[in-house]
Amino acid sequence: MNPIPALRFVVRVALQNIVRNRGIAFASLLTVTLTLLGAGAAVGVVFALDKVLQQEESQASVLKVFMADHISYASALNLEHSLASEPSVQAASFENKDQAAAQASSTLGLGGALHILETSGGGNPLPASINLHLKNIAAVTAINNQVSTSDLLFPGPHQTDYNKDVIPRVEHYILAAQLGGAILVAVVGAVALVIITISVRTAAFVRRQEIEIMKLVGATDWFVRWPFILEGMILGVISALLASGVLLGVGVAFGSGGSLALGVGVRLAVLISLGLILGGAVLGSFGSLVGIRRSLAT
Amino acid sequence: MSISTSPAPPRSQVAETTRPARHEPPIIVFQNVSKTYPNGAAAIRDVSFTIPPRDFVFVVGASGAGKSTIIRLLIREETATKGHVLVEGQDLARLRRRHLPRLRRKMGIVFQDFKLLPNLTVAQNVAFAIQVTDPGRSHLKEKVGEALYIVGLEDKLNTFPTELSGGEQQRVAIARALVHRPRIFLADEPTGNLDPDAGWGIVQLLLQINHRGATVVMATHNREVVDLCRRRVLAMEGGGLIRDEQEGQYLKEGEANL
Repeated sequence: MNPIPALRFVVRVALQNIVRNRGIAFASLLTVTLTLLGAGAAVGVVFALDKVLQQEESQASVLKVFMADHISYASALNLEHSLASEPSVQAASFENKDQAAAQASSTLGLGGALHILETSGGGNPLPASINLHLKNIAAVTAINNQVSTSDLLFPGPHQTDYNKDVIPRVEHYILAAQLGGAILVAVVGAVALVIITISVRTAAFVRRQEIEIMKLVGATDWFVRWPFILEGMILGVISALLASGVLLGVGVAFGSGGSLALGVGVRLAVLISLGLILGGAVLGSFGSLVGIRRSLAT
Repeated sequence: MSISTSPAPPRSQVAETTRPARHEPPIIVFQNVSKTYPNGAAAIRDVSFTIPPRDFVFVVGASGAGKSTIIRLLIREETATKGHVLVEGQDLARLRRRHLPRLRRKMGIVFQDFKLLPNLTVAQNVAFAIQVTDPGRSHLKEKVGEALYIVGLEDKLNTFPTELSGGEQQRVAIARALVHRPRIFLADEPTGNLDPDAGWGIVQLLLQINHRGATVVMATHNREVVDLCRRRVLAMEGGGLIRDEQEGQYLKEGEANL
């Protein structure tokens, strides 16, 4: 079979289908656009939430190990090297007492209090520390338990800045956001699939005599299927383009400082749009395949 | 159809057919074929016959006798529950679904209800059969013109089916079935919706197609047509084959008209 005339025939029949069944096509276009709009918005919200949680995770993945005042610099460096070689540790850095004071002055505004203490002879009360940047938030507890046994650490209940309540909470939020987003996208995708399937099934019903004749005169199943697949693909892609347009429009209107609404970057927005277009095409084709199956069964 | 309203044409008006090639392997074989539907209804029971190439066969019988089931088995719209249906030596039960289009392109099929697409013209309806099977085929117009010339509708190219008589619509369906130059031509009650004159015209056309070398199987309960043509008759009753006669009649000599 010559592919060019075959392709021309398939495109012509697909466009004819859409025009002939324009009422159904418009209804499915509208509903699929709305569902893809929901999917796109859900993906945007999940990405924005994930970004916030990643920042939280990155902060929670830093463990400050406070050193006892009496230990030598060499001992502290040994401990630093030993911890840096742990598989779950991405980087380790030593922070001396002066650096700790400078940090506390700049971030916590404790400069005044520290100055009073030093001038009154109390000295710098802040301990030196090793700051561990861990690869994964899940490793924080294990490293904390491991390091707490060292006798080089600051005596007392706060040998590290480990907060056992924060980490499970952050982990829980991340999991909930990812799971919720995945479920939402799956549900919305399933709804779009059902709508396209119904639309194509209706189109196949309207064209049942044509399909019957095609089969009787010896057209292959694929030749019967292709116009419907293309029809579903066209509807899916147009819906995705409309949904992307609306999402980008809303994002630009409510965005600021080079970012779209919810802090979604332009690159991410383009990726979401491309994902929607690809998703629309796949959903449209797959929905059509399912929709036409019954007509080809006999 | 009634003889009284449509006088029987003299025997000389019945188109000559080529003689069936009985020395060649049969083109159609039914071997102890039974078809039972999932609801338990038996459509045909233990039916056996062979058809040589270029034969013209009437399958006759009352409604529900199993005539249409034979046609549906031949185009593999149905598969036999028992026995074997062979077309050109190919057992249709073993035919893979993807090879079904190849089988159907060897066949021309027409039905009582014409199955024309009302939104396409006569020429487009005929061309449709080529476009959906071989869209790149050259000389499309010539092929369509030739098929319409054979059925005598070369001047109706741009007419829509709804503007044609029943007989003309059936001729368009025949032209569409002819564009692939089928070796086997199947007709399921092709005169069922037609007046006697139009019905007779269709039968003449099928005889011409047979004369051109195609094997023709026509399911009908049109007694007059069968009796006039005196071709081979397979008579069905209650799903069984009760008679297979060369130059047969609708009813057996002396048989009561049911």
